[in-house]
Amino acid sequence: MTINRNKLYSILFIACIAGYIWLYYSIKINLTETNSVEVCLIKHLTSIPCPSCGSTRSVISLTKGNLNEAFNLNPFGLVIALIMLIAPVWIITDLILSNNSLFVFYQKIENTLKKTKYAIPLILLVIINWIWNITKDL
Amino acid sequence: MEAQKVDMFIMSNGKFFEGHQMNMIRERLLALDDSKWAMLSTVQLKDPTTSLIISILAGGLGIDRFMIGDTGLGIGKLLTCGGLGVWSIIDWFMIQKATREKNMQKIQQFLY
Repeated sequence: MTINRNKLYSILFIACIAGYIWLYYSIKINLTETNSVEVCLIKHLTSIPCPSCGSTRSVISLTKGNLNEAFNLNPFGLVIALIMLIAPVWIITDLILSNNSLFVFYQKIENTLKKTKYAIPLILLVIINWIWNITKDL
Repeated sequence: MEAQKVDMFIMSNGKFFEGHQMNMIRERLLALDDSKWAMLSTVQLKDPTTSLIISILAGGLGIDRFMIGDTGLGIGKLLTCGGLGVWSIIDWFMIQKATREKNMQKIQQFLY
C-alpha cells in the first residue's frame, strides 16, 4: 500500500470520524454506567495495559476541561485530541483549495521522525509512558 | 546486464516482490547498466514473512508499520492501540503486500 494524497486523506478522515463516534459513544455509556467499556486487545489478553490505554478517558476528561487529569491518565490523549481537532479542518481546507499541504507536511514529519536523533528519544518516551501506565494500573 | 546475473537476482530476491512485478523488474534489469549492479546488491530488502510475524506479535503497537518504514501509519496504530484492535487484525492480511510494495519502491530508484 503505497500512500498517496487521497489515500492518506481518506484514512485520516475515516479515523477521525470513527474517533468522534467512539468518543460520543463512550461519553454516553459513561453517563449510564460507572465503569467505561474496554476494548483493548492487549489488555484483555495479557491484563497489562498497552501504551495507549486510558487515552479515551484522557480525551473525555479533556472535553470536561480537566487538563491535569487528562495528562495524568495518559499524555497520548492530548496528542490524539490535537490530531482529531486539526486533521479534519486541514483536510477540508486542502480539498476545497485542491492543495496537498497536509500530505507534504505528513511526509516531512515522517522523514524527520525516521532520523535516529528524533526516533530514539521518542521511543524512550513511549516506553516510559508505558511503564507509567503499568504502574498506574489503568 | 547479463541475463545470468539478472536471473540470479530474481531467484534470490523473488520472495521480496509481488508476482506481477517480476516481469517488469526482469526487463528493467536486463536493460540496466552493469555499474548499477553493486548498488543494487547492497539494497536492504525487508522480508514479508518477518513483518507478518511482527504484525501478529506486536501489531497492536504499530511496530510492523514502523519496521517497513510507514512511520506515520505506525504512530496512528500506536496512538489508537492498533485501531481499537480492528486495524491490527486487518494488517495481519495487508502487511505482506505492503512490505513487498515498500521493497519495490526501494529498488525503483535504481531501475530508472
